[in-house]
This record gives sequence, structure tokens and C-alpha cells, in this order.
Amino acid sequence: MIFTTPAFLVFLPLVLVGYHALAGRAWKYRFLLGASWAFYSLCSPRYLWVILLLTAIDFAVGKRIEDATDARQKKRWLGLSVVSNLALLAAFKYVPFAYDNVAALARLLGADVPNRVWTLLLPLGISFHTFQGIAYTVDVYRGQVRAVRSFTDYALFVAFFPQLAAGPIVRATEFLPQMAVPPTVTAGRIDDGAHLVMTGLVKKLFIADWLDKLIVSPVFGDPAAFDPAARRWAVVAWAVQIYCDFSGYSDIARGLAKWFGFELPINFNLPYLATSIADFWRRWHVSFSTWLRDYLYFPLGGNRRGTARTNINLLLVFVLCGLWHGAAWNWIAYGFLYGLAMVAHRTFDRAVSGIGWADAVRATLTWKLIGWAATLTIHLAGLVIVRMPSWGQGLLILKSFVPDGSSAGILSGVPIWVPILIGLGMTGHVAAVLPRLRKSWGDDAGAAARGFGYAALVVLLVCFGPGVGQSFIYIQF
Amino acid sequence: MPGAFRPKFLPSFPLASPRARAVRAATWRTVRLPLFLLAGLVLIDLIVHASRGTFARYAPDDYALKVAGCAQRRPNFVILGGSPVAEGVNPDLMTGLIWHGSPLDSGYALGLPGGTTTDFYHALLHGCPTPPRLLVCGVTASDWNDARNEPHGAYSLMTWADVRKCRALRPDAAWWMTKQYWEGRFARASAVYRYRNGIRLWAAVQADAVWPGCSPATVREARNQAAYDDAIRGGCGYAPASWFVNRRYDLAKAAGDPGPPFGFLDKYRTGSHLKYLDEILSWASDRGVAVVIVDMPVTADLEAKYPAVMGEYRARLAEWEESRGVAVIRASRDSVGLGDAQFADIIHLNGAGAAKFSVWLRDRLAERGGRP
Repeated sequence: MIFTTPAFLVFLPLVLVGYHALAGRAWKYRFLLGASWAFYSLCSPRYLWVILLLTAIDFAVGKRIEDATDARQKKRWLGLSVVSNLALLAAFKYVPFAYDNVAALARLLGADVPNRVWTLLLPLGISFHTFQGIAYTVDVYRGQVRAVRSFTDYALFVAFFPQLAAGPIVRATEFLPQMAVPPTVTAGRIDDGAHLVMTGLVKKLFIADWLDKLIVSPVFGDPAAFDPAARRWAVVAWAVQIYCDFSGYSDIARGLAKWFGFELPINFNLPYLATSIADFWRRWHVSFSTWLRDYLYFPLGGNRRGTARTNINLLLVFVLCGLWHGAAWNWIAYGFLYGLAMVAHRTFDRAVSGIGWADAVRATLTWKLIGWAATLTIHLAGLVIVRMPSWGQGLLILKSFVPDGSSAGILSGVPIWVPILIGLGMTGHVAAVLPRLRKSWGDDAGAAARGFGYAALVVLLVCFGPGVGQSFIYIQF
Repeated sequence: MPGAFRPKFLPSFPLASPRARAVRAATWRTVRLPLFLLAGLVLIDLIVHASRGTFARYAPDDYALKVAGCAQRRPNFVILGGSPVAEGVNPDLMTGLIWHGSPLDSGYALGLPGGTTTDFYHALLHGCPTPPRLLVCGVTASDWNDARNEPHGAYSLMTWADVRKCRALRPDAAWWMTKQYWEGRFARASAVYRYRNGIRLWAAVQADAVWPGCSPATVREARNQAAYDDAIRGGCGYAPASWFVNRRYDLAKAAGDPGPPFGFLDKYRTGSHLKYLDEILSWASDRGVAVVIVDMPVTADLEAKYPAVMGEYRARLAEWEESRGVAVIRASRDSVGLGDAQFADIIHLNGAGAAKFSVWLRDRLAERGGRP
């Protein structure tokens, strides 16, 4: 029952009405927690115990850490939380991958190991709520947040259904203070929430799903059957698809949260305008990249232990970033590519920073455009790696970016809707670099125009979406 | 705000305190966007509902249209069945056959693509308020496969009373039928949702008129759907898709394209759907309608691919024939004179096959009708 299924259209109004009809903080939160667990059960029926168990452990650990008087005790409790979360994540996500690789290695050495015939279904949002739980206990350990004393409050922080399946990964410092007083839903939140939900739905149902159906899946399914121009379009379309799919989910999550009176952090900040690879990760999946920075890169020593160690830390963080996305060698290669790019970028940055003429060149628009193009090229290469059916076919797709004159034209048989949808998907990015033309929509006529406009968009999505109910890409991570 | 729109359902109270007015204004600001959104949805839905004929043409509900067409025409013979009947029997080629001394001058093919015996009963129930003189029931193995249920039947044909009866008669399909029934009801609550596919295809045709070639596949689909709708509405229920009419299975096989995979006989088991064959008999018996069962012809490939299934099906048919004493016509390929050239795919007749089989069936029925 993801956001784009008809069942969610029944679930959401019931929860909204029930939540706002109840009086008092305690009942509202109990109701919302029950609804969130129900949402989890409907999406991932066999695994409710996973989130319940980890919630109970992290809640108890948080209190124990705060109550403990000596540092070693605090550390032991923190260790319990980190190990519990990572152990369950690893068990569900990485055991099949590990088995396959150990078996392949054993076969190379002559052992007779059977092929894996079993598989494990991933519990809903496990990659997200485990990281949220770890962040909470670490923050309590660091004294950055007080341990939550109400189980309902903590469980709701973990299971809040708009962000449960695919983030954003919310920090306790961001969410828990909002729970102190009963949340109020203002006209502004309703309006902003509606705008975010509609934007997210258009991104997902109209742009991402259509691009997938029109070109991305066909071309990546059999790249050799298409000419280089079509393969180039498919790679660009895939970049727009994954952005619209994931940022669309984040927009919907943020919009829904507003309707319950909560604010969730921004997860995407125009990533395709990034002018360096470091800039890209400050804009793409922000809640995850800052999590890696605060809870992995800094504890590893960050940049405080010399150049070599910093570079190793960067590589390690990005390889683990890739592995977090998926238990496959493609994702590890994706992480390694980004790690290398980060190391190269940092080395270059440190080498030329402070040199007058170099700083002047780097401040020019031309340099920024070169940086933008280089960043985008690395990103596209990374995306090819994670979607390619095989390494050989991936190479074929990457070679398409070297012009050889074999294409029959710019579109080369690609449906005209592909460039239109790509343009539409990038509208937000383009609008961001244009002068602000916003006018006040605060009056009744403005609200009427928006309301009717949203109604027209809903009809557009119902009639012209390629098929309601396709899963969001990041829910599978 | 001067000049601002103020809805009439929020009256002004001259005596209300400034605080009460402020609360009312804040409440209005909070709810106005959802209300306008809702009003917009209702308005668009009403507009689509008013133009439903236009959109329905591009996404015909063939089950409902055939049932309505049959009820309207009041034919004196009805041929009931699934897609083998829908694609393979043309009642217009059978009219005039003499049945117990007088001609049957109007026929209707209630062939439901993908349908099961459960669906056939409900089509008959609602499509024949005036009972015909003769009911020809074309059966084939896939109609009786309890591993499959057709959502379209419960969605389009069944009333709540039908669902309740079905739950009692076929407990194995109770949940499925109920779910499909309510999905159908909810879908019909919104004209936009109900006709969403029709709106999409209609829009493609309009766009093609302005910008030719912008979406050729969708426009092709739209034209096929419109032609299908026209054929169902204007004819005797025989409205084969052009794909079926012109295709030859023998040539397709030779070209290495035998057609889409056929999985309707997978996990074969019988018993539950068959209860509705008895319901069809009861319905006919209560109304004095003569019933003839026709074992529809299939390709040799289908029989070779599913020998056990076809064996079970034929054994069931023989048991049933003996215990109920119903006339069964076995339309084997040899007796009709059909080969792969008269089939479109592994189970459906093409246009030439349908013509040949319809004439053959008319003659066999005429023979039966001559008997006392």
C-alpha cells in the first residue's frame, strides 16, 4: 500500500480525519502510531516484529545511556543498539549476497556448493528506520538529544508512516521537539502540503513512470537492440526518472507530514545543478549523505588524520553508501566510483585553493559549467553501472556517449514524449535559476485556482499515468 | 480582504465578536483549499459523466454491452460462452434455422472473452429477461478451470444478490468475487476513474488530429477499441477483434509467432465453476428454454499440450451429459472440417473458421431441431 495505490487513497483520509478529530496530544499520537503500524503491516505483513523489536531496543537503550553514569556503560549500551540495528539490516539485506559470493568462491576452489534457491523479502523501510534508530542512540550518547521517556513518542518518531518506507532519514533533534506540543495544522501547512503532494505525484506517476515505460526499461533491458542515440536518451531519462521517483517520494512524505502538523527535512536540493561531486552529495538524498557524514565519516576520523587516511575514509564511506543502496557488485562499484571522484575532487581542491589566478578561474561561470558537466557525467556513469543488465552491456551503453556517427538523428526513433518528459522533470531545476516570478496566492481566488488546478492534475494522473501502483525505486533499497 | 470571494455557506454574523470572526476566517483559510480541490474533482467528474458516451466508446465494457445488447434485442436463440464463442460463432450466419417447426430469425452471441461458466450464468441471467427459444452453450476446458476467476464478471455483471448466491455456491471464490464486485462499485462512483482509459484514448485521437503521428500506438489502440465498441453495439454480439479475423495459426506458426502464451489451463481443476452450468440448466428449465451444449473445437496443438487436462474435461463433460440428459454436440475439428488454417491461435477460430463453424453448427442444430 504505497502512496500511489488506490488503497492508500482510502487509508489516508481515514487517518487524517481520525487524527484531527481526536483531542489531546496523547490520543492523537497513539492513533497515529497505530495507523503507522497498520501501514507497515499492510505493506510488509510478516515483518511488523522487526520494527517493533528495534523500536523497543533503541527506546530502552536511549534511556539506559542517559541514566548510565560511567562512560564504558554508555558505550556498551550504544554498542547494543548499533549491533542490533546493523545485524537485522545485514541479515535481511546482505545474507543472500554474501552466500552467493562465498558459494562462487568455494566453487572456484573446487567445493560443491549448491546454488541459492531461497530468497529473503526485505522488511519495509529497514534501510531507513535502522539508520534513524542508530542516529537516535548516538545522539543520546553524544548528549545532543535527551532520551525519550514516552514509548509512544519514540515509536511514532521511528514509524511515522509518511517517511517510513523511504525516508527522509529524520533526526531526533528535528522531529522530537515538534512532538512536545500537539501539532497544529495551519492554512499554510495545508497549502504547502498539497503543493508538495501534488508535485511528488506528478514526478512519480507522470514523469518517472512514463520515462521508465517509454525508454528506460526497454533500452536497459536490451541495449544492443537500440542505436547509440536511443541509448544516450535512455541514460539521461534514467537520471531524470530516478530523481523524479525518489524526490517525488520525499515530496509526498513531506507534504503528508505537514497535514499532520509535522515538518520533515528537505531531501533533495536541485542536485542536477551541482557543480562538483561534493556539491552533488550536499544536494542529493541530503538526509542520507549527512547521516553518513555525522555517523560514519566523522567517527572514522573525518579529515583530521592526514590526507591518506581522509582519502581512505572517503572511499570507505562511499563504498558503504553504494552497499546501502543494494547488495550487489554494481552498487559497490557505484560507491567506489563516487569515492574515487570525491578523493580526486578533494585533492584538486586542496591543490589549487589559495592560488590567486586559480581561484579567479574557478569563480567564473565557464568553470562552473565545466564542473557541472563533469559532475553530471560521473553521475550518469554511476547510474549506468547500477542499472546495466551486465558489465558488457553497461560498457556498450557507456560507449554510446562517444559519437561515432552511426545514429540516424537526434531522436533516432525515440518517442517525442521522452525529451518532453525529461524537460518537465527538470522544470524545478530550470525555474530555480530563473528570476523569481512568484506572486501571492494567499487570497480566496488564489486558493480556488490552486484547488481546481490540483483537481485537474489528479484527473491527469488518473487518466494518463502509465499504471497506478508501481513501486518507488528507493523503497526497494 | 475587499472583493474577496466569500462562500454563501459561511454567513456573516453581525453580532459575532471580532475573535469569533477571526476564528471563522482562520478556519475558512484552513479548509478552503481541500474544499476547492474537492469541488474541482466533483465538477470534472460531472463533466466526464455528461460526456461518458464519448469516452465509453474508446474503452467499451464488452461484458456489460453484450448483456445490454442481448436484453434489448430479445433474440430467439442465444449462443453463450467464452472467447471461443465470442470469436468463433456468428449468429447472423445461423438465422433462419428451423427449430421445432418454426424458424429462429434472430440470434445473439453472448460470448464473453476470458469468461468462465460463472460469468456465463450471470450474462444469461441479466441478458435474457425475455427467454429465447433456444440456448446454445459453447463450452471448452478453460471455462471450467477453478484455478481461474475472471474479475470482469463480478465487476460488471453481478448484483449484490448474485455475489451472495455465488459466495454460498462457490465458497472457494467468495473473497475474490466480493472484492471484484466492490472494486467495480467503487470504480463506478467516479466517472473519471471509470472512463480513465477511454479518456486517454480519446485524447490520443484528438492529439493525433492536431499533431499527426505523435502517439501512433495509442491512436491505433483507440481506433481498434472504437471499432470494437461499434461492432458490439451494432451487431448480433459477434464482434471479433481484427487480430483474430485475419490471422492464420498455420502461417503464424510457420513464421515462428504462434501467438501469446496460453495459460488458461494451468493448475487445472474442476467442480466449482461447473455448479453454474447446473444453474444455467435450471434457469432454462424454469423458463422452458431448450438447451444444447456444444463442445467447442480447439487446435490439435492445444490437445497435445494439455492431454491430461483435455482428458479430464472430456470425462467431466461425458459424466455431466449422462447425469443431466442434456444434448451435447461435439464439434471436433474433423467433423467440422477445421485445420490450423481456420484458427487464429491455439484456441480461437479466425474469420474463415468462424464462418465455417457457424454454418456447420446451424446445420447440426437444424438436425436436432427436427427431432421430436
